[in-house]
Amino acid sequence: MTHVTISNVRKVYHTAARGELLALSDVSFTARRGEFVSIVGPSGCGKSTLLYIVAGLLRASAGQVLVDGLPVDGPSPDRGVVLQNFSIFPWRTAINNVAYGLEMAGVARKERLEQARGYLDLVGLGEFASYYPRELSGGMKQRVAIAQMLACNPKIFLMDEPFGALDALTREVLQHQLLQLWERDRRTVLFVTHSIDEAVLLSDRIVIMGRRPGHIKQILDVDLPRPRNPEQVRVIPEFTRLRNFVWASIRDDSLNDGYSKTDAG
Amino acid sequence: MKDQRTLSGTEDTPALKPPPSGLTAFLIGLSRTRIVRAMFRYYPVWLLLAAWEAIARAGLVDPMFMPPFSAALRTTINELFGSGELLTHVGYSFARAGAGFGLAALVGITLGIFMGRLRAVESFVDPLISAIFPTPKLALFPLMMVLLGIGDASKVALVFLGCFFPIVINTYTGVKNVDEYFIWNARTKGANSRQVLLSVVFPAALPYIFAGLRVATSTAFLLTVASELIASNEGLGFIILYAQRSFNPELMFGAILLVATLGFAVDRLLLAVGRRLFSWQEQK
Repeated sequence: MTHVTISNVRKVYHTAARGELLALSDVSFTARRGEFVSIVGPSGCGKSTLLYIVAGLLRASAGQVLVDGLPVDGPSPDRGVVLQNFSIFPWRTAINNVAYGLEMAGVARKERLEQARGYLDLVGLGEFASYYPRELSGGMKQRVAIAQMLACNPKIFLMDEPFGALDALTREVLQHQLLQLWERDRRTVLFVTHSIDEAVLLSDRIVIMGRRPGHIKQILDVDLPRPRNPEQVRVIPEFTRLRNFVWASIRDDSLNDGYSKTDAG
Repeated sequence: MKDQRTLSGTEDTPALKPPPSGLTAFLIGLSRTRIVRAMFRYYPVWLLLAAWEAIARAGLVDPMFMPPFSAALRTTINELFGSGELLTHVGYSFARAGAGFGLAALVGITLGIFMGRLRAVESFVDPLISAIFPTPKLALFPLMMVLLGIGDASKVALVFLGCFFPIVINTYTGVKNVDEYFIWNARTKGANSRQVLLSVVFPAALPYIFAGLRVATSTAFLLTVASELIASNEGLGFIILYAQRSFNPELMFGAILLVATLGFAVDRLLLAVGRRLFSWQEQK
């Protein structure tokens, strides 16, 4: 049942200017197979750092991450990543961006373009196959990024504020698309966001983090019915209750942090 | 003239307009071609040449110092295609510039990429570049001649040195500027380090590399002609010096024009290739 185990992960950054900086202190939680877990917290709480450690892009200073019981040692196409922004390749057309992972795996040209077209259609960009990223809107670029990840057929989706830079309307459309996609394939998802609304809407569980150093404050179960439709879910009283709960938890932390900062001088 | 008037005639009588004659249609077609439009764009150059022609013909300057443009052009064409001798000299200069430039591109791009990606290479090569780059390369030519003789080798080596620096520095800068997120994205899609280099680092740095190549082409021509002026029995630099010494100003000016035209043509060619390659970039 357990798919991802994060146990006692600690991360120290060594910076020339400020010496050692403790970004994550003793973080542990697990994600079940097919579970949608969001990670929320104030900026600087190390939620992206944690995601990159799971991705294998950063190394934990202590502790470890297990996937299917095996320790993570470097990135793998099995753990698909969607980065916040500007991560698709501007010198490749939409379809060649989507086909990138297959190309690296040595899939023949015809075969990989065929598959890539399928994923582009899936995110509704079939007509834009030959477009370069500069010709696409922000929302379309992120959909290409999602299709690029899907094309590698990962077992786990690691998403770092994928909709963070989008306008409210586009964001809502993509949230809905992601929900439908997840209902279909039921992959394990770790989803970093600073939007509480988004976390409650999408997740089975929410990991609330605090900062200085980054740590887990609370893990919250979200028992909203599925399949979820954004418009319908948002009017359920339980949705509002959960959102207020998460907000209160994060706000306290932000305020306390503000004072401690002045104290520390 | 009659055709001209009907073509620009009023729009309320289109039915009366006779179809353009063969020659007019041809001229109109020609005026829309890219070559003709490009010719118009360079009208200041044509004005300059016309002024040269006029001043020389009016007898304002001694033709021994400055023959008319038309005379220089005629001599150049005769020497190029009549005897064909000038063409061999163009070949010599081109081969030297091309060999030095090609070698510099090969070594410069490779080394620049490794400098940008490997800390050890960077910390070793960077101080060397800083120390040698500001030295005028032409100052090293006498040394090159001592080491490699007065033949092609010393000239190619000089061109190589001159071209190498702009190429390696631009490549290095380009590689250093590659967004780390592109590399992360590639690695999470299963790319190994060789694939990251070829499929991300190289294309991302290519606009910088190209800018370096462009700077290097002008350096290549400069150093080739300069070295041929100093010590050579063939090449355009030699022709310029030879024409000056044998009181043949038409040929001297012709050879200078030839060098300028070749440099211009190669630069335009590179620009056109660059525009094709980088159509994915934001247009400025």
